Amino acid sequence: MPLPRPLRRVALAATAAVAAAALLAGCSAGGASSGASVNAEPVTGGTLTYLEPQTWTTLYPPSAGFYPNGGIVNNITDRLLYQDPATLELQPWIATALPEVNEDATQYTFTIREGVTYSDGTALDAANVVANIDLFGKGDSSRKLTQSEAINNYDHGEVVDATTVRFFFTAPSPGFAQAVSTINSGLVSNSTLAKTAETFGPGNATTVIGSGPFVIAAEEVGTKITLKARDDYDWAPPSREHQGRPYLDGIDLIVAAEDSVRVGTVVAGQADAARQIEAPDEAQFAAPGLALVAASTNGVNNGLSFRFRNPLLADIRVRQAIIAGIDRQDIVDTLFTANYPLATGALAKTALGYTDTSSFYAYDPVKAAALLDEAGWVPGADGIRVKDGQRLAIAFNEALPQPRSAEVVTIIQEQLAKLGIEVSLTPGDMAAQTAASLDENIVQVYHSMVGRADFDVLKSQYFSKNRNTLLNLHRADGSIGDSQLDTLLAAIASTPTAEGRTAASAAAQQYLAEQAYILPIFEEPQVFGLRGDVKGFHTESVGRPSFAEVWLDR
Amino acid sequence: MTYVLRRLGQAAVVLLLAYTVAYVLLAALPGDAVVARFASPELGLSPEQLSVIREAYGFDRPLWERYLESVFAFVRGDFGYSVQTGASVSTLLATALPSSLVLAAWGLGAAILLAVGIAVTATFGPRVIRRGFRSLPPLFVSIPVFFVGIVLIQVFSFRLGLIPVINATPVQALILPVATLAIPLSAPLAQVLIRSIDEVRAQPFVTVVRARGASTSWLLWRNVARNAVLPALTMAGLIFGELVGGAVVTESVFGRAGVGQLTAQAVAARDAPVLLAVVVFSAFAFVIINLLVDLAYPVLDPRLRGARR
Repeated sequence: MPLPRPLRRVALAATAAVAAAALLAGCSAGGASSGASVNAEPVTGGTLTYLEPQTWTTLYPPSAGFYPNGGIVNNITDRLLYQDPATLELQPWIATALPEVNEDATQYTFTIREGVTYSDGTALDAANVVANIDLFGKGDSSRKLTQSEAINNYDHGEVVDATTVRFFFTAPSPGFAQAVSTINSGLVSNSTLAKTAETFGPGNATTVIGSGPFVIAAEEVGTKITLKARDDYDWAPPSREHQGRPYLDGIDLIVAAEDSVRVGTVVAGQADAARQIEAPDEAQFAAPGLALVAASTNGVNNGLSFRFRNPLLADIRVRQAIIAGIDRQDIVDTLFTANYPLATGALAKTALGYTDTSSFYAYDPVKAAALLDEAGWVPGADGIRVKDGQRLAIAFNEALPQPRSAEVVTIIQEQLAKLGIEVSLTPGDMAAQTAASLDENIVQVYHSMVGRADFDVLKSQYFSKNRNTLLNLHRADGSIGDSQLDTLLAAIASTPTAEGRTAASAAAQQYLAEQAYILPIFEEPQVFGLRGDVKGFHTESVGRPSFAEVWLDR
Repeated sequence: MTYVLRRLGQAAVVLLLAYTVAYVLLAALPGDAVVARFASPELGLSPEQLSVIREAYGFDRPLWERYLESVFAFVRGDFGYSVQTGASVSTLLATALPSSLVLAAWGLGAAILLAVGIAVTATFGPRVIRRGFRSLPPLFVSIPVFFVGIVLIQVFSFRLGLIPVINATPVQALILPVATLAIPLSAPLAQVLIRSIDEVRAQPFVTVVRARGASTSWLLWRNVARNAVLPALTMAGLIFGELVGGAVVTESVFGRAGVGQLTAQAVAARDAPVLLAVVVFSAFAFVIINLLVDLAYPVLDPRLRGARR
């Protein structure tokens, strides 16, 4: 029975009004709440309710790069070394000192702290450490366990004596010390090391045993994980101010996929903290009684990789034209907030090895048009430039894990349309996006980022045998498009000294900029929304939450 | 008896077809779960490492071989493991199903109550509000489910603080999702009920009953309702599909770990073992519900008894 037209209009208006009222209500609800006292001394006790946008998929540490996994692994495991998230300096943790490294960085010797136990009572000893790093360094494909991206050139480990372990590499591996400080190298008990990809998955969370400040006490598949503090925890990184058991009694990690629900729940005081507050929602946390933490991910910036082996982008002038034709400031101003600083190079300013290459990324549409003319691309009948019968139409992927990727590409679409370049967004879910982005003939410009607080992060992103975001390596025929780029990147991971790596990293960044292979857009943060009475919240070096020092001021 | 057997045979064919079509479609789409999980540049695995993993999953073998194997495994009750997480599909379903069944049952129940309420008010209610109630079904069916859910949460949970979203009791956790699901679900039901009641009321026997002094409520419950309920029952069987679709959205908005949320995640990750199990379970439920509806017909309408032998 169709509704009479005027009535239908009234009905729609009514719905819109209800929605608007509800949204306004949501915005103002936070203002009046929570007159937290000013407590100088941390208080022990209480349970933190923390919201994640997605459910975790595996607790195998080398796969902890996925944020929902990392948020758990970071709090239930310890690592050999500790990386200060502010200075990115490495410090002792389960290893009592920084490792002794031989001259060409192919042997690392660690001394292991005594008396550390896993939550099942077994000892974290030298043999267990070697077993951990052996698995992470080599993986085990029969159990579908992958090797850690952070550990390069791994050969084997040896127990030297009860408190000493030594690791051997087939080639220099200067990133190893940092690698054993990341959540990808979270130490787990012997029983956990025997697991398969299946038993590291949902339904088995309580059997994943670490030595960290928290223990997984309960799991509701797909919705909730309950962490409990370990009362006998006494081996926090010595450099941390808080030693001993965590202040909190426990944490409820709850999945709340819908952005407005996640934000609203914290604003309304039903939860204490939430990860992934999108830029448009940040303003709600400016209200009294609420707080926002934007943690740097200290790695390769959110940006574009131009697949220079595709004929459309093979001419450097076309790549330079695209770079000059994109107004990055406009993107950041329109879609993001001050927590998303404009990128000044391939790496975040706080990342190890950072070099300023911002002069290559100036917005200059006049120059862009001139470059395209010079390269022989002339406007066609529909306004899109053509050359030899081919239209200048390029496809971008949608970076599903990255904030507002589709909107970013949409703005780029408008900006480049003015120059006569057609931009399209490749549709599809995660599997389709991944499949499309492995083929330069489907996706010519790849939108992505990667967080990792080591020099190696640059190599991780662009090296042909790592993420290969430029598709420098053709998977089908194994050919390399630009071997000089590979040589420069490989040097970062094989130069033994920090000075040498800094220089190698700078050289690679300079080359990426000169060749117009990439356009960094902004430094991507991890944004958390908190109740104001949640104190001591911090993140590890790439933005995963650490709850060991959190306390509730209420 | 042969009728029931024939229906069971049909059900088996429907299930096999559903499984096969889903299998072929999933195989035809670009990319697969191994690509989504392991080839994702996030892990930075080399092509050689990837091919080893593909072999470990058996993805290097021919499609028909894997298809046949999976069909037989399914028949044995072995649903395999999620490629995305490695969790066993039976564990995932065992966790998700009860929550979804409770939501679906209450959602359908509330939708029927709501639909009857709307239909009765729209046809027998005070003249001034009939028109308004008649326009409710088109309104309800045109509001997106996620919008209803978000508005309900904003108003009743965040603004009025009546129902917590987090750490709610099982009953509290049901109220808003059930309401969210019931609103769009009630729309087609109410629509059909209103039309049936209108049609039945226009029939001559109604005038006769009225002339003999029957009150409106007598007329409604004893005469009109019995005749108007059959089309609505058919509709109730058919809206099961809408129930599943609505549950996907509702469960995502409210963070309920049901089949809907499981499906949404599996679709995003192209997690074939999970999707196939969900498809077969949904098809199974659809077949069962429609079988029950068909069997209920002769019970409700004496004219249909003995017609099928």
